[in-house]
This record gives sequence, C-alpha cells and structure tokens, in this order.
Amino acid sequence: MKLAKNKLQQAFDLMAKEANLLVPMKIEGVTKFAPWGAEGELAMDAVNTLLPPKDALFPQTEKMYKYKTRLTQVESLEEIKETDKQIIFGIRSCDMHSIDCMDEVFLTRGYVDSFYSRKKENLTTVAIGCTKVLPTCFCDSMGLNPVAAPTADVQLNDLGDYYAVKAQTEKGEALVNLLKPLLEEGDGEAAALECTLKVNMDGVQKKLMNVKMFESDIWQETAQKCIGCGTCTYVCPTCYCFDIEGKECGNEGYKFRCWDSCMFSEYTRMAGGHNPRPSKKERVRNRFLHKLAYFEDRYGKGSLCVGCGRCVADCPVDLDITMFIDKVGALKEAGSND
Amino acid sequence: MTNHECTCGENPLVPQICNVIKITDETPDTKTFRVQTLDGKKPFDPMPGQLGMFSLIGVGEGMFSVTAKGEDYLDFAIKRCGMLTDALHEMSVGQQVGVRGAYGNTFPVEACKGKDMLFIGGGIGLAPVRSFIRYAFENREDYGKIDILYGARSAKDLVFKEDLYTNWPAMKDTKVHITVDCDDEELACHVGFVPAYLEELAFKPDNRMVVLCGPPIMIKFCLDSLTKMGFSNDQVITTLEMRMKCGIGKCGRCNIGSKYICLDGPVFTMAELEGLPQEF
Ligand code: SF4
Ligand code: SF4
Ligand code: FES
Repeated sequence: MKLAKNKLQQAFDLMAKEANLLVPMKIEGVTKFAPWGAEGELAMDAVNTLLPPKDALFPQTEKMYKYKTRLTQVESLEEIKETDKQIIFGIRSCDMHSIDCMDEVFLTRGYVDSFYSRKKENLTTVAIGCTKVLPTCFCDSMGLNPVAAPTADVQLNDLGDYYAVKAQTEKGEALVNLLKPLLEEGDGEAAALECTLKVNMDGVQKKLMNVKMFESDIWQETAQKCIGCGTCTYVCPTCYCFDIEGKECGNEGYKFRCWDSCMFSEYTRMAGGHNPRPSKKERVRNRFLHKLAYFEDRYGKGSLCVGCGRCVADCPVDLDITMFIDKVGALKEAGSND
Repeated sequence: MTNHECTCGENPLVPQICNVIKITDETPDTKTFRVQTLDGKKPFDPMPGQLGMFSLIGVGEGMFSVTAKGEDYLDFAIKRCGMLTDALHEMSVGQQVGVRGAYGNTFPVEACKGKDMLFIGGGIGLAPVRSFIRYAFENREDYGKIDILYGARSAKDLVFKEDLYTNWPAMKDTKVHITVDCDDEELACHVGFVPAYLEELAFKPDNRMVVLCGPPIMIKFCLDSLTKMGFSNDQVITTLEMRMKCGIGKCGRCNIGSKYICLDGPVFTMAELEGLPQEF
C-alpha cells in the first residue's frame, strides 16, 4: 500500500483520534517526538531527532505509586498504572532498535517491569526509512539498516510523493486498516543508503570482555577530557538507567523514577561513602563497556550502541565513541597499550 | 487502622506495607527490626543470603540482607550509616514500613551439604551470615561440624549476643569463637583481630566451606590467612554490597562487569570474584 504525502495530515488526524500520536517536531529549536498538535513545526526530515523517543516507554520522570500516611501508619498505597494508547510515527531504524534493547532489559531476566510493559503493550511504532544521513550516523556499522526496521509495527519508505506502507505485525495491520481510506494500491522499493561514519566492530566486543582490558591505559586517555555533564546518556536512545525518589507534601506523597546517568558520581556512591566508580575514568569505562561489551554478554542481542551518533554530535568535548571503537579495534591484543 | 488498600505482590517495584512488631537493640549503632504484613504473615520467603528492600514511606528505601526469617516475620539487622538508617533507628514498634523482595541469589546451601562449615563475620557482617547459620541449624543433619568465628571492635559492638553466647554454643558439634579488637569490658573472650585469631585456631581445609562477610579490610586479611592455611578460592563464599535502587536488574547501577549484584549476587565465591573486573 502507499500513502500520498499530501494526505499525511489527514492520516495524523485519524491516528490521533485512536491514540496519543507522537510525531517528530521542532519545538523551540529542539527536535523531538511530541504529540501531534503541539505548538511547533513538523520535522519529518530531522533524520534522527535531537532527543530520542525513548520517553514514550520510559518517561524522564514517571510516578510509580502514591500513598497517604497518618503519623506512623500508612493509610493507603496505590500503584499508578498508565495505559494510554500511543503511536510513535516516524521512528528511525536506530531508535527502533533501541526499543528492542530496552525490551530485553525491562521485560526479561526474571522480572517484568510493569511500568514499562504496560506502555509497550499499548504502543504502536511506525518506522520510516532514512533518505539522507547525518554526518554522525553509523547505524549500518552496528548491524542495522537505515531503510528497514524489522521490529517496527509498520515500515514506511519515502518514494518521493508517496510513502510505501508495509504492516509488519498484527498491531501494524490494525493501524494500516485504520488508514485504509487514505491509502492507495501499490508499493515500491526503498533505495539503499549508507551511513557517513564507519566503524569496524569485528573483535571489539571480545577484546573488551577480556579482563586485561579493564586495566588498560586506554581508559585514562579516553576519559581525560570528559567533563561529566551527562549529555551523552541524556540523548542516548538506549541509556535506560534510572533512580527512584519520592516526593511528599503533608501526609501524601508519591514515589517516582527518573532518568539517571552513570556519568554522575552520585550514581554508585554508597550510604557509607564508599564509591566503586570514584572518578571519570571508571565512569567512562563503565559506560563504554556497557554499550559495547557487557550488554552483548548479558543479553546476547548485540551492542547497546545502535549507532545513532547523538553522543558523537552532542558531547561538548567531542568524546567520540566511534573513535574509541577504532582505537580498540586497532589494538594488537586486549590489554596491550598499542 | 482505617481501610487499607494496597496493590502488593503484582509489581516487584511496589512495596508491601508491614508493621514493625519488634525492635532489638544489638549495639549502640545497630538494631534488628522484625516486620510482618498487616495480615500477620512474613512479607516474602527468602533463602539464606537474599536481600530485601526496606522503606520508610516518605523517607527512602535501602537494600539490606534478611538476617532471619520466622514462621510469620522477617528480621533485618540495620546499622546506622546515613540519612535513611538514622530515620529507621528513630522508629518504634507499631510503625509501618514498606518491604519488597526477595532479591538476589542465595548462599549455596545445597552445595555445602555434607561439609564442615566455618562462618566468619566481622561487625555487622554477621547479619547476612546469620541467615545461613540459622538454616544450617534448622537442617543440622545436612552439615558437618560448625565453627562460627565472630569479631567486633569491642564488647559493646557484638551483635546477636544471645545467639553467640547462649543459642549457638548449645547446638550439636558447634563451636563459637568470639574475639574483640579491644577488651574494654573485660569480657571473657579472645582479644585480637579476626585474621590473627583465625590462624591461631588453625582450621583444616579438608571438606570445609567458609562463609566470610565483614568490612573489606577484614575480608582481605582473612583471605590471606585462609590461603596460608590451605583453603582454595572456591571454598570461600562472600557477599558484595553495591548501591541499589530497583533490586531487579533494571536500574543499572549495581553492575560489576556484566553481572548485576541485585540479581546475580550478592553471594559469590572468591573464585567467581576473581573472574570479574575488580570494581567494588
Ligand atoms: S557528553 Fe561527553 S563530556 Fe558529557 S559526560 Fe558524556 S562523554 Fe563526558
Ligand atoms: S552510545 Fe551514542 S551513538 Fe551509541 S546509541 Fe547511544 S547516543 Fe547513539
Ligand atoms: S539495583 Fe537496579 S540493577 Fe541492581
């Protein structure tokens, strides 16, 4: 099936009746996914937005439960359940794969995170193949395809005046069905696309998992210029670490979780004061090892870096994960310093 | 109590409300809190070594090892060392708290069957060890000789005194060895550091497993002593502590390498620890 581009707004109106529709928008200079109808301009050509759409599943702050107390007694405690239907329209292959990674974390290994799973059940994703790349894109080096996101519910591809529309799941079929009145017969192949940046991940994960690598000088060298601002974790579509905090007013309050960053020293500091990752060397090491080695080791689903290039573009001191990958790739063996 | 609603049980991140039914002063800075659900049950059924998230609603949550479980209660021995634990120490019986768990792996109670056991605890480090000691006594026939070596700074810092002096020494084939760093109350016990006393006691490594928990520096020196005495690293079991928030392997912070201490730990053999990045 295909959708004429001049019917896009009608399609949005249809979808927005069914669910909270998130589309790429430019709002006060920042590109991000925002509800259709929000103040700002549509940014279908943003390639990947400055902020990833991860907050649809994993909000920056999310209330978990609310309670009432009376002196030393807890009068009530109630879980907060959000079950609104959401559609992310225009997600790119890299961000779509970041959802696959978050699924592993939140839905597997013994515990299902109900806050996440409820949102995931109610989410439909419409991916769109890229037609141009940014200077920092490298998703194809990380095993992805910029024009195809196999786990998205619907895949769109830009064919000039039309989008080719392909349902890839049951949820996707339901959505295509909804859009039926606007669709026309026909389809077409997306033109292949290559990313600007190239890295070679061959052997990198294995080298990084070698304990000898842990003590390498490479970490000090790499971390030296980091200023610990946390931008890289904030813009990263796969960074999922969170903190749990509470807010109380009188005898009522709620517990919430919010994004946290492994680049902050607080993150691992224990109540007695001991901190296993006291300096930026340990923190940068943990972030890169988590992205490029630990995640694959634990979940067996490839790297936790999807090659979106956001941290490469936005780090204020140009600490570049692609350069780090190259450096490790060039090492003769794990743990050697050249 | 007014009518109480809670959505316990379904979501591992949402605590159950429990009553504090007993508080025992262990030392000037450690208290044991006994908790029970509002309908008179234990909040969950942990195996030795497992953890529980203990929260003072409105103040905060902290992860602690479960020191003991009874038919209808759980005990947590908690040492004061920060804002949350200060607040917990202000509680009185009847206070309501939130509890969620059980988290983490367990002491290898099966693999230790048929072996002699040496339990070594330093300071509050006896809290996690105690869950295994109690398990061994409940299943006394499954284990060989039991030695418990416990050290604290001074007499007033000894935790679980009733167990140490009365209950445990009365058990079959069991010896309790107590030492204090400095004997200001002229207690009839050994004086000196745990590692030195350990060597003095000259335990034989044959068919014996060691459970070792305490301050990092004590662990380090005890390990040296145990190695000298002929114990290998896979005979020594310990627990790790990391800052934790979720307890279910999601929030990310408690990792050592690709292991999450809240799920894959806190219990490790020294041999397992050697294979991990040294970052704890
Ligand atoms: S964005 Fe750059 S400077 Fe900021 S924490 Fe990340 S690596 Fe460090
Ligand atoms: S680490 Fe950087 S390039 Fe990789 S997914 Fe995260 S933000 Fe994108
Ligand atoms: S405490 Fe959250 S991952 Fe371990």
